[in-house]
Amino acid sequence: MRGVLGHFKELDSAVEAITELKHVRIGDVTVFTPTPRHEFEVAVAPPTSPVRRYMLFGGLAGCLFGYWIAIWSSTYWPLVVGGKAFASWIPYTIFGFEVFVLVGALSTVAGLFIHAGIPRLTLTVGYDPRFSHGDYGIWVECTPERAATAAALLRKHGAVEVRGER
Amino acid sequence: MATIAYEPKRPNIASANVQLPAVRDYEQVDDEISATLRPTKAWFAALLVAMACLAIGISAWMYQIQQGLGVAGYNPPVMWGVYIITFVFWVGIGHAGTLISAILYLFRAGFRTTIYRAAEAMTVFAVMTAGLFPIIHIGRPWKFFWLIPYPNWRLLWPQFKSPLVWDVFAISTYLTISTTFLFVGLIPDIAVLRDREKNPTRRAILSFLSFGWRNSEREWRHFARAYLFLAAVSTPLVLSVHSVVSFDFAMALTPGWHTTIFPPYFVAGAIFSGIGMVFTIIIPIRKFFRLQHYVTLNHLDAAAKLALFTSMVVGCAYLVEFFIAWYGGVPAEKDYFWNRVFGQWWWAAWIMLTCNMILPLSLFSQKLRRNPTWLWMLSITINIGMWFERFVIVVPSLSHEFEPWQWTTYSPTWVDYSILLGSFGWFFMWFLLFIRQLPVIAISESKEIVPPRVRHSHAHTPADAEDFEPQTGRAH
Repeated sequence: MRGVLGHFKELDSAVEAITELKHVRIGDVTVFTPTPRHEFEVAVAPPTSPVRRYMLFGGLAGCLFGYWIAIWSSTYWPLVVGGKAFASWIPYTIFGFEVFVLVGALSTVAGLFIHAGIPRLTLTVGYDPRFSHGDYGIWVECTPERAATAAALLRKHGAVEVRGER
Repeated sequence: MATIAYEPKRPNIASANVQLPAVRDYEQVDDEISATLRPTKAWFAALLVAMACLAIGISAWMYQIQQGLGVAGYNPPVMWGVYIITFVFWVGIGHAGTLISAILYLFRAGFRTTIYRAAEAMTVFAVMTAGLFPIIHIGRPWKFFWLIPYPNWRLLWPQFKSPLVWDVFAISTYLTISTTFLFVGLIPDIAVLRDREKNPTRRAILSFLSFGWRNSEREWRHFARAYLFLAAVSTPLVLSVHSVVSFDFAMALTPGWHTTIFPPYFVAGAIFSGIGMVFTIIIPIRKFFRLQHYVTLNHLDAAAKLALFTSMVVGCAYLVEFFIAWYGGVPAEKDYFWNRVFGQWWWAAWIMLTCNMILPLSLFSQKLRRNPTWLWMLSITINIGMWFERFVIVVPSLSHEFEPWQWTTYSPTWVDYSILLGSFGWFFMWFLLFIRQLPVIAISESKEIVPPRVRHSHAHTPADAEDFEPQTGRAH
């Protein structure tokens, strides 16, 4: 992995640089921002996060498990309470719901981890601690021949620091 | 770069404007919020007091385990007392955190931004505290795991039709989800602390806890989506948990308990008490750490309106209870409510009514809503009032059931009071340790409501920020 890292102080400069980088297609662009911004979302135009599917399938699995454990154990040890059916689905909805939320939420977090690529042992190339502090970063992954073009483009849009990394 | 402070002339009119006018840039957010992690003498003193209270509670509990539940104030048939009251009290406190972080997030209520972290941490520690009380109450705490469904050699399973088993599922799910919600929200902030940290050991710990978070757009995109869905499922969870707690009572035929109003009544009361505790915590924090420009008067004002609203919902529920007792025409029910308000338990009922219905009406005054000292004092009365609400629900019902020979009295012993005190020590000990280690105000979300630096802006002013029209609010 090699490329060029541009360091920006202003939001609009970084957004303009991303827009042009996407236009000229020099290489894959990764944006670093201390807080999520719609402006970057518009400039990068990423696909919709698939994390929602984890919630759906995890939640459904949890819901089924919640009903199943209550119904199965009630029929496994049949005990009549208040003349009611062994498996009373109305109170068991509480278990269906609670386990739906539990497994759905934990699956969502698993989805976040999988798609965001965390946990990560190292911060890898193209990261600078200043990006969590207040500055913006643009990492352009490109071949050495195109690095100069990428660096020039980043500087043109107001990058305060540009450096090659590998 | 000039610091600007543009307080509107009529602050209440601008209460929807929850931006942080005295915060210039992202660096200032990092510097000022990270400064709360430095220990102070006041912090050590508070921790010492909390641990002393906890020690008293643990000693009393040990004594109770040795001597048996007879040392608590139980007086048959009043076999639910301070422990169950305190359990419901702490579960209620635990509701505001997820309300503020999840429900207000979905409604895009900006005033949540700077208070939600404290409220979320409060939730986790309050539910941890609440979870202790059923274990203390059963007398033989080493048997509590019998409530959990697991394969065992006795081939026995819990009775899934019992509200007590519903409670186990609801509370354990709530604790897990609240902790997950808190921790997921903390990941970007821990990354900020990691990048600022000079001490290698601390840095290694923070690196581990931040999972190598890099603030990339990809990470934020998935984070925002996951956060949205966590908020979406936490919202019905909040409503369900205290509804399930209310079923512990409403499923019984006892006078005063067997009523369909209990779930919404409990949920509203829980949110009310939780907001009260948020005020109790956040007002000293903003004062001692000098964070008045983060937790602004506008934020307190908006939260106070929420407290006023939930107080009125709770007050309405009290009145509906009285009305139904009269309108239902059941003599035992009527007699019970009369006894509650004008008889044996009048003092507890009037503490409840005064603290939860009458005093919060002061929040109709804008001046008082924007007075932190008044809000803090009121929050203490709300906490007291809400504890007494649960006292009034539990004790008068059990001490005044259908048959006169069942009628009795109840008075807690020093063991009950000591364990109650210990619960506050336990709660505040965890909270104080939290604020010393992790940011009590969300750093990354606070940055979202600070206008970003833009190229043509040298002095940060609202007008400059408007030129670029940056969009605030978490992207998703």
